[in-house]
Amino acid sequence: MTRLRKKKRTGLTALRRRLGKVQVPVALGMTLVWMLLFKGFQLRWESLGLLVLGFLVSVLIMVLFPMPPITPGPRFHPVNLVRLLLYVFVEIVVASFQVTVLVFTPGQVRNSVVAVRMRTDSDLTMVCTAIAASIIPGTLIVEVNRPDRVLYVHMLGVEDDEAIERGRRDVWKLERRFVMALGTHEDIAALRAGGPEKREARKRHEGKEGP
Amino acid sequence: MSETLGTVLDWVAILCILAGSVLSLVAGIGLVRFPDLLSRMHTAAKPQVLGLLLVLVGIGLRLVPVETNVFNVGTLVLVALFQTVTIPVAGHITARVGYRTGRIDESLMAHDELAERLRTEGDVPGSGMAR
Repeated sequence: MTRLRKKKRTGLTALRRRLGKVQVPVALGMTLVWMLLFKGFQLRWESLGLLVLGFLVSVLIMVLFPMPPITPGPRFHPVNLVRLLLYVFVEIVVASFQVTVLVFTPGQVRNSVVAVRMRTDSDLTMVCTAIAASIIPGTLIVEVNRPDRVLYVHMLGVEDDEAIERGRRDVWKLERRFVMALGTHEDIAALRAGGPEKREARKRHEGKEGP
Repeated sequence: MSETLGTVLDWVAILCILAGSVLSLVAGIGLVRFPDLLSRMHTAAKPQVLGLLLVLVGIGLRLVPVETNVFNVGTLVLVALFQTVTIPVAGHITARVGYRTGRIDESLMAHDELAERLRTEGDVPGSGMAR
């Protein structure tokens, strides 16, 4: 009898611990997806029920499949976020045309894999930059080195050093936009401290000393 | 008034869908034309993003006046969202596997900083440099 009660109590504490790990913003995001799936954005009484049900399902999912939290979480800077989205969209359109031109240019297209070192120390920025670079035509992430924060980017039609530098700068620009839109104050400070020029100078310095 | 607006919307939708289809066609041509895996990844995944978004916008413009029971604008937003989020993951994994298993045409590489790094480190391919 007491053993059963004990078991019940440990189960309850475990459940409580799991519930404590529920990340409310993520649950809200999942609720949003739920609402979009079931046409929840119409003015009727069922929408309210859909909202509650969606939130409950999200919490249940997070209790059953707990995920490690994103630390530090995103800080939203709305104006910069809009500018970021516009920038990415314009880049997609421009780069789509460039790739189209490359497709119809006769002859072999030579490519390069370029190492781009991130300037900030946050996983979130790195993931976002990698995703955006992958969406934008002409760049493709081949390899990610997380301890050193290096993205290895495959660039289409890039062969001379000048074009490589331009590509590297483009990825850095993307990173800067993401940090400005989602980063913490520390990230922004880190970005300001180590601009691309400094990074390059340091890299050249290392290259001289290295084997 | 609303009829002319409908016609204009129709034309915009048609143009969007047409442009999207053309971009997808370009992607297909690029897939045939490029010789190696990584270049093909570019055309297979990329013009399609814009192409798909344009097609979705086109469908959305026609769906706003004609509400169907099958799907609505929310569904289109979801399709766009999950496409843009999942394409990079698939692309990255394919590129990584291709690179690690040596299916890369060295003659097409003008400059390869990853290979340089792997050589200096003596890293065995596939030993998990990226976790």
